[in-house]
Amino acid sequence: MCLAIPGLVTELLEGTRVMVDITGVRREADTSLLEDPLNVGDYVLVHTGFIIAKLDPEQAKEDLKMWDEILSN
Amino acid sequence: MEGKKALGEKMEPVKHYRDKKVVDAILGRLKKETEKLEDKIRIMHVCGTHEHDVVKHGLRGLLPQNIELIAGPGCPVCVSSAQDVDEVLWIADNHDAIITTFGDMMRVPGSTESLYQAQGRGVDIRVVYGISEAIKLAEKNPEQDVIFFSVGFETTSCVTAAEVVRTNIPNFSIYSSHKVIPPAMELLLQRDDIEFHGYLAPGHVSTIIGLKPYEFIPEKYNFPVAISGFEPVDILMGILSLIKQINAEQAFVDNTYGRWVKYEGNTAALRTLDEAYVISDARWRGLGVFPNTGHEISDEYRHNDAKKKYDIPELPVKDLHAGCICDEILIGKSKPDQCKLFNKACRPDHPIGACMVSHEGTCNVAATYEEIIWKE
Repeated sequence: MCLAIPGLVTELLEGTRVMVDITGVRREADTSLLEDPLNVGDYVLVHTGFIIAKLDPEQAKEDLKMWDEILSN
Repeated sequence: MEGKKALGEKMEPVKHYRDKKVVDAILGRLKKETEKLEDKIRIMHVCGTHEHDVVKHGLRGLLPQNIELIAGPGCPVCVSSAQDVDEVLWIADNHDAIITTFGDMMRVPGSTESLYQAQGRGVDIRVVYGISEAIKLAEKNPEQDVIFFSVGFETTSCVTAAEVVRTNIPNFSIYSSHKVIPPAMELLLQRDDIEFHGYLAPGHVSTIIGLKPYEFIPEKYNFPVAISGFEPVDILMGILSLIKQINAEQAFVDNTYGRWVKYEGNTAALRTLDEAYVISDARWRGLGVFPNTGHEISDEYRHNDAKKKYDIPELPVKDLHAGCICDEILIGKSKPDQCKLFNKACRPDHPIGACMVSHEGTCNVAATYEEIIWKE
């Protein structure tokens, strides 16, 4: 139920709607639950038609660093 | 095409988080960390998506022998009481309403019948992808009442909340069976019939609520919490964090899903949740009423609240059918194969208990992936 799927914003539509590419399938999603505006190319989490989070690319890079540390040990 | 390029750069594509080299390295680290442990460590997750993904990726079999991962009450479909199904059907029967809901709810047993069974005797029940579809249906059918039967933890509640605060259609209302997870986590800590040593907290609920609602767990109970995502690397990083906390005897809320979860959560969604709902007591299947674990629509939006719109009488509730041990499965006290109905009378195509219904229910997952589960 709490399944949320990552997708990529491909187009900004009217009002609170954007087009999201989810593993190759394009779907409209609602942005009403987001504080910050979205841009094309943003990675988002979609849950039952609403975007609930935007990816933090800096933090994703931090993940990589952490893995490197584990891999090098 | 620009999109395709960004896909690689921003690094969410799942292949990174399923990388065998990284998985092996974390398992190696886990092995090293668990060598120091004297006793078996039991970790509880409280998310149906975790259960599904742990089993799908065969992670239980990869973990060191002295770590056991148990499934808690994380599947909202499974924990919803038969009372909710009964009341929704009462509205349909007495007010000729159309019921809309998520597909997962269709086979959830009510006291006497499921929505699916009721559909068989002619009740108009439609499966929708989300609440927005239910609203469109109400707009198209102004002559008939449309109810959206909504279940889920904070991830889903906030989506319903977004519509609660902006929708006002006379023939549309919501039956809220939404639940809040952190207070339920506290109730499990207070029970002395289940023993576990760390919480793997649900990543997607946490995108909404952030870290703060879990902080009482280490503060008050000195109990470790790690927020984790759903890919193999994510789940193992969460487990590694918990083992490290246990070894260091330092409990805190660790966020191992930082690419999606912020400390403060999703502030816009939290505001919407606060506006749309009030916290209430909620009935969990077979477990009784848990205080402060429900989300009811606030009085200000009572026009959208099916529980207030219709005068629902008190109905006799039967949460568990004969032989079903869903109540024990839900809190990780028993495993599916300890139920005498499991995969015999109760199967995914013929569920008797709610845990066999949703593809994230502990029994359903165990039945679907039978060959790789519960063989420790």
